[in-house]
Amino acid sequence: MAGVPARAAAASCAVSDSEEPAVKSNVKRDPARLWTGVATVIVLLVLWSVADRVGWVGTSFFPSPGNFWSALQQSVTTGYADGRLWEHLLQSVKLILMGFLMATAIGVPLGLWMGWSRKAEALINPIFLLIRPIPGLAWIPLAIVWLGVGDAAKIMILWLTAFVPTVINSFSGVRGIERPIIEASRMLGIRGFTVVKDVIVPGALPSIFTGLRLSLQGCLTALVAAELLGAILGLGKLLYQGGLDIYPGMILVGMVAVAITGLALTALIDLAERYAMPWRHT
Amino acid sequence: MDAKLTHTQLAWLSITGLVIFFGTWTLAAALELAPRRFLPLPWEVAEAFVKLVKTPFSGETLQGHLVSSINRYVRGFLLAAAVGVPLGLMMGWYRWLDNVVTPLFDGLRFIAPIAWVPFAALWFGTGIGGPTMVIFAGAFPPCLINAYRGAKYVEQRYIEAAQVLGASGPRVIYEVLLPSSVPAIVAGLRVGAGTGWQSLIGAELIAASSGVGLMMVRAQGTLDTSTVMVGMLAVGVFGLLIDVALRAIEQYIQRRRGLAT
Amino acid sequence: MSSNITFSKVSRNFRRDSKDFFALDDVNLMVNENEFVAIVGPSGCGKTTCLRMVAGLEFPSSGLVQVDGVEVERPGPERAVVFQQFALFPWKTVHENIEFGLKSLGMPAAERRERIAGNIKLMNLEGYESAFPHQLSGGMQQRVAIARAYVLDPKVLLMDEPFGALDAQTRTVMQEELLRVGRLNPRTVLFITHAVDESVYLADRVVVMTRRPGRIKEIIDVKPVRDAEKWQQHERIEDVMDLESFVHLRTRIWRLLREQHDPADH
Repeated sequence: MAGVPARAAAASCAVSDSEEPAVKSNVKRDPARLWTGVATVIVLLVLWSVADRVGWVGTSFFPSPGNFWSALQQSVTTGYADGRLWEHLLQSVKLILMGFLMATAIGVPLGLWMGWSRKAEALINPIFLLIRPIPGLAWIPLAIVWLGVGDAAKIMILWLTAFVPTVINSFSGVRGIERPIIEASRMLGIRGFTVVKDVIVPGALPSIFTGLRLSLQGCLTALVAAELLGAILGLGKLLYQGGLDIYPGMILVGMVAVAITGLALTALIDLAERYAMPWRHT
Repeated sequence: MDAKLTHTQLAWLSITGLVIFFGTWTLAAALELAPRRFLPLPWEVAEAFVKLVKTPFSGETLQGHLVSSINRYVRGFLLAAAVGVPLGLMMGWYRWLDNVVTPLFDGLRFIAPIAWVPFAALWFGTGIGGPTMVIFAGAFPPCLINAYRGAKYVEQRYIEAAQVLGASGPRVIYEVLLPSSVPAIVAGLRVGAGTGWQSLIGAELIAASSGVGLMMVRAQGTLDTSTVMVGMLAVGVFGLLIDVALRAIEQYIQRRRGLAT
Repeated sequence: MSSNITFSKVSRNFRRDSKDFFALDDVNLMVNENEFVAIVGPSGCGKTTCLRMVAGLEFPSSGLVQVDGVEVERPGPERAVVFQQFALFPWKTVHENIEFGLKSLGMPAAERRERIAGNIKLMNLEGYESAFPHQLSGGMQQRVAIARAYVLDPKVLLMDEPFGALDAQTRTVMQEELLRVGRLNPRTVLFITHAVDESVYLADRVVVMTRRPGRIKEIIDVKPVRDAEKWQQHERIEDVMDLESFVHLRTRIWRLLREQHDPADH
């Protein structure tokens, strides 16, 4: 039937904020997909190289590949915005990891506790409901008022950004453990800390990792935003300076650096997940 | 898991939690653990709220700023939905389109929306255009991805039933493929609305000439903590309202379809 | 106005990991006008594939599937299908579901309404026209599915384990229903099932297929026995299933099927 879309697979599931977006490319099974993909990328690259020469887009608006390349070189060798590229990267990643790890260290146990104990949930939930709707970014002005434009403020912002999804997902991870499993553990006489170690944590782990992924993404966004507002070093600083100087090549360098950082951090979590949950293949 | 709580227990514990929270806050503020400028009392924040509704701050009253923000938000979000949903649907239905667009999308997806702010400001200014673009960058991926999945994973049997019943191409799309994708589309809109709202705030904090985000930044500049807090609450409440409204729509649709859990 | 179905040397194979798997091997069968033919066999014997080839949802690797002498090339409302999983559109009401195929036939609205009303009455669905599928029980949903197919006045009715998803009690009720409706409105039916009882109760002939590769093992003639023993005298299904003639046929088919499940083979 011409014009009617091809057949499809089974279930339909919604990608929500507690799940992963996955536009999966089944490259192995579909060579057409791979080649079309390659072709598209090549076409775009060609268009990009040609765009400013042909006069479609001025280089004051969007950098040509040449602009991008020289900006990249500059940021790597002589430095830009008071630092070389790796220094900016290091600064950003350092802060993200610190905020993220602290939030995880507190958030996961808290979420697990709230999941397990309905009393804890009743006590803490109202406060949580007040804080939850406030996006991480919205904490930035307050953090700057309290702690200035240094690292401390940024870590506070990151902590708050990462905290909420971590707690929520840890909580739902516990609640999501199927009844029969809990009952089986009771029947088997498992008590106390062993329950936590062998039943609750493994059961909640998939959800916890989803929460970690989300909070990490959030952290990257929040940090770049905070650095755009005020920083000495960092990817956001790079972007900010590039914007201020109207230096499109450098802006693009900053954006690419942010994208790659995001990718790398997500890959790290995926790796950690595979190590932590060997019984699952993700 | 411990036993379910009675209503009274629930009420008491919840109240206790809130009391602890506000009590600690008030106590810390009253004892001036930090200068009053930095740590206002809870009711001082309420006073600031009333003040902002009556007198302009940084050019606008609170509602004025909110209107600016919402204006940009609605434009950005509607644009993201208007482009993302149809494109996602078509990518799900037509493999060739999927193959062409996905590499491009996968590349851009990893750029956090906030990173678009410098270019957005450069290209479209700090009035409506720039922030709208950032909102678009935030809301677009969820709209697209969810519509894509909804379209791609239509159950085979519906398509076959439609074919057996003699439906032609356009009818299949309009009466079968589209309706079956609706729950996924709505879920995508809900998520996109959330990320779009966050992107709005980000854009306004950095490069905007009006709006709640700008209000917060200016207040931060004058160390007006109460106003900052009012801003935070406004942002939070609004984001919550949007989410609640869209969830309600989502649940309504699920109930009509019998998908409700 | 019904049609006949012809399978001529039909085979269906597919390659996986550079090996050939034969789903069907040299199937030859003729279903006459207004005949009710059931196909039984173990899972994976290709019986559903046969039905889907008549429907135009799948195609033979070699051989010919014809309806009224014309090769089947695509699906269509003249070869209506009742699916095991109902496949009712959840976003449409009962009325709209039944109407769907009629629109394809280009029938005017007034005539559609009349036809649908008739079929709703026929399938005992009165009062449920505005309900959504999820609000109905399994049995009701399958009635809608049957109505949706019947309303098209198809030349051939294809039923793919239509009662498989129903519980035992509902199943027997539906079997009685189908027989009743069939007496009022006879047409060519190809019915897939793995319930032997069901096949003997409903069919004029029962085709027994082998395990993969699916071949026709034997075709049992039920109609002569039914007519001779006057099964239709008995209103209730359990009365028919108690008859000696019924039990004989059923046992015979069971034995044929069991021959393929000999543990010694594995």
